[in-house]
Amino acid sequence: MPEHRREVLEMLANGRINADEAERLLAALEGTRAAAADVSPRKPKYLRVLVEGTENGSPLKANVRAPMDLLRAGVRLASLIPPQARAHVDEAMHEHGVHLDLKQIKPENLEELVDKLGEVSVDVDNEGMKVRVFCE
Amino acid sequence: MIPLVARVRASRGRRSFRLWIPLVVLWIVLLPVILLLLPVFGLACIVRGVRPFRALRSCWSLMNALSGTHIETANGTDSFAIIIH
Repeated sequence: MPEHRREVLEMLANGRINADEAERLLAALEGTRAAAADVSPRKPKYLRVLVEGTENGSPLKANVRAPMDLLRAGVRLASLIPPQARAHVDEAMHEHGVHLDLKQIKPENLEELVDKLGEVSVDVDNEGMKVRVFCE
Repeated sequence: MIPLVARVRASRGRRSFRLWIPLVVLWIVLLPVILLLLPVFGLACIVRGVRPFRALRSCWSLMNALSGTHIETANGTDSFAIIIH
């Protein structure tokens, strides 16, 4: 039995509150618990990239909205790279100074990365060029 | 769900055009071609060491995830937009 419910029943048993007051208290407690259960963080559905600035004197704008499911699907495609190809990719990246071992990257890590992307928000304002990256 | 419609808007100076593409017709037309190419795709996956059903599933989920994509760019008087529903 929840703790608050037990306390209310004890107060009723001890005569500190009457039945009506106990009923109102229990209803209020139930309402609070239901409201707290309904408040769950909404998972973002889209990744947005907004760019605004000027190029050679003319205004430049870009607005990209990509579904998060598209990113997840892309990540799953990347996990299909066969082991022998991964070695080639690792070698090519090493030659360009990127020391990354694809074997260490697991699909579930990439999925978690995409999920955490929802908390990322980037705002850049540099010499009239504004870039915003966020999830909604 | 697979994308059903794509809208394309392009403008260059004073000229502009809008296109409404019923992708569902495109999928119906491409279906026989896809079915014919499936064995080739499967063979290519096996040769490359990729699991064919997993690859198919990934391609399918990628296609389903395209709905809701919105890309819009504008540079001066030129603009281009593609919206996939």
